[in-house]
Formats: sequence, C-alpha cells, structure tokens
Amino acid sequence: MFKKFSSEDVSSQNQVKASVQRKIRQSIADEYPGLEPVLDDLLPKKSPLIVAKCQNHLNLVLVNNVPLFFNVRDGPYMPTLRLLHQYPNIMKKLQVDRGAIKFVLAGANIMCPGLTSPGGVLDDDVAEESPVAIMAEGKQHALAIGFTKMSAKDIRAINKGIGVDNMHYLNDGLWKMERLD
Amino acid sequence: MAEKPQPVRVLYCQVCSLPAEYCEFGSDFEKCKPWLIQNAPDLYPDLLKEADSKEADKVAQQLQSTALSSGSADGSAPSGGASASKQEEVKRLPGGKIKRKEKQEVVIEKIVRNKRKCITTVKGLELFGIKLSDASKKLGKKFATGASVVKGPTEKEQIDVQGDIAYDIVEFITETWPDVPETAIFFIEDGRKVAAA
Repeated sequence: MFKKFSSEDVSSQNQVKASVQRKIRQSIADEYPGLEPVLDDLLPKKSPLIVAKCQNHLNLVLVNNVPLFFNVRDGPYMPTLRLLHQYPNIMKKLQVDRGAIKFVLAGANIMCPGLTSPGGVLDDDVAEESPVAIMAEGKQHALAIGFTKMSAKDIRAINKGIGVDNMHYLNDGLWKMERLD
Repeated sequence: MAEKPQPVRVLYCQVCSLPAEYCEFGSDFEKCKPWLIQNAPDLYPDLLKEADSKEADKVAQQLQSTALSSGSADGSAPSGGASASKQEEVKRLPGGKIKRKEKQEVVIEKIVRNKRKCITTVKGLELFGIKLSDASKKLGKKFATGASVVKGPTEKEQIDVQGDIAYDIVEFITETWPDVPETAIFFIEDGRKVAAA
C-alpha cells in the first residue's frame, strides 16, 4: 500500500477538531489497550493533532509532523512501524518463516504457508479483518503491519493463498517518511 | 495500568535505516557491513569473521607470503569492489528490482498540430539536472513563443514549445547548458531516432 508513497501523495493536511481528536484517540485506545498508559505521551492533548488525507482513502495521524497511525477509509487505526518498534506488545503478532522475509520486505502479501511452516507462529486468537504485526523467524522486531484476510484458524485450515494483507513494511514509502512537513 | 511500558529503543542502521537485524534483507547489505561491524557486531557474527579473515589477508599480503589458502578470499575482495562500482550505475527501484540508469539524452520531436502550426517537444532535459521550469522560461524567451512544462506520457515531464524550432534548439541547448553534449541530442523523424550532431 505504501510501496510508492511520498509527501506528494498527501493531498491535504488538516488540524482536526477537538471532537474528532477525541474520537481518534478513543478508537486507538479501544484497538490497542496496551497503548493506553502512554497514549498521553504519544498524542498529547495540548499539541494539535493533524490528519493528513492521502490518495486511496488513506489517512495519516500526525503529531508534531511525525506520522504515528494510519487507517484506510473508516478502518481501524494502525501504528506505523517506527511506533510499533517502540511498543512491540500492543498488537497481536504473527510470525513468518525466514524464507518469506525478503518477499514481505518487497511488499508482498503474506501467504498462508509462510505462517504455518515450522518457522512461522500463529496466534489462534487472531480474527479476520484485524490488524496484526508481522514478525519474522529469528528476528526481534516487526517487519510489517498487516491486515488479516482470514482468521488464524482458517489460515491453518486452508493453508493456501493470501492470509494477511501487507499494509506497511520496512523500507516502504511510509517508513522512509520519518517526518512530514 | 499502573506503570508505563518503556518504549523499546531499536537499533536502526544509519546506512539503510532498517533495524540492524534486517540489514541483510535491505537493498544494500554490502554498504551496511562496515557500520554493522562497528555497531552491532553480535547480530552478524559471520561478518566479524569475514572482516578478520580479510585483515589477515592484508597482513599476509604485506608479508608477501605465498598465501595459497587465502586464494578464495583474495578472489572475493576484487569482485566485491567491482560490484560496488556496478551498484553505483544501477538505480534501485522500490521493490528491490534493479533498473539501469536511464540514458542521458535529450529527445526533440516536432508534432504538427494543424497543417502549418506545430509544437516542438523536448524530453529528457531533467536528466542533466536542469530545472524544467527554468528551461521552459529560457526557451520561451529565446524563441518568443509559448513554452510550457507538460506532463507527458508515463508521468514524465517534458517541455512543449510552440512553433518549429527544431533546428535552432540544438545550438541553444548546447550553449545554455554546457553539460549537455551535442551527441546526446536526438531528433525523432518519421518515428526514428536521428542524432543531431
């Protein structure tokens, strides 16, 4: 999704109303309970929250020009990888085997066999259509953020085709955009 | 939720910006290696060994000993150098695909608009580091016509100049921008590329 993404793709940046700000904060808090204690640090109530609208119904949540979250249409907010690296335990994790890493880093969606093979780890609590962190065999940090297309049980049962959509991965356009001015 | 979870500090490679452990999957592992050896030696133990063996090779060469055993490592060193220079030539696209750098050339084409009116398009000036907006202004001034920067096919920008200026433009380009050699300027005539020089 962010394969080719640059500041040019941002069509407008708006400082949002306090009520919208509350809504965003609330939905993030609901989605990631683990983030709640630090949410005040991440999205300080005082400093303005900016929402950047981009092409393809994509929204970025910026604080101090740093992208922290993104979502598509009215979908769930997902943290950027830089944020996820800081707080790795806020999301459900799926792990792919080593062979899949290079494809994921090229932007490929995550296929079921990469998750079910011996190098992969599946968390059975993961439902379909939910954001997950994609970890890799033998690595500590997440390499991508995905949006599941089927539940973990289905992934195990069907074991074929796309299991998780790759939303944001290391070295994609959003990763390279540390700051948006 | 009494205490705040401390943010994890992740070691990012200064060269490729990835977390250090993903450097090996990055676009330029070779370039990251020196940084990794210095900053994250424990992540890639193999690298250290490699570096050690290279250093050992150097010592061996200095001593001018008959190093038959290091032959394989000797072979790897020059090939590494060659690949580094090659990497400068090829431009890496997102997605890990490698595309050769586009040939630096200026292509001039005359498009007939309606019988006696035509437009001259100039493509490729930006490959010489020329600002297209400046260039279009200069062209417009010189030929006293409209000249504009237009998004051509495939998202490339080109300059459209009103009128047939195909023959004067070569001289003008080479004079105004000495970086552009005459040999790099081409005309398109009957769908074929013809060198201007």
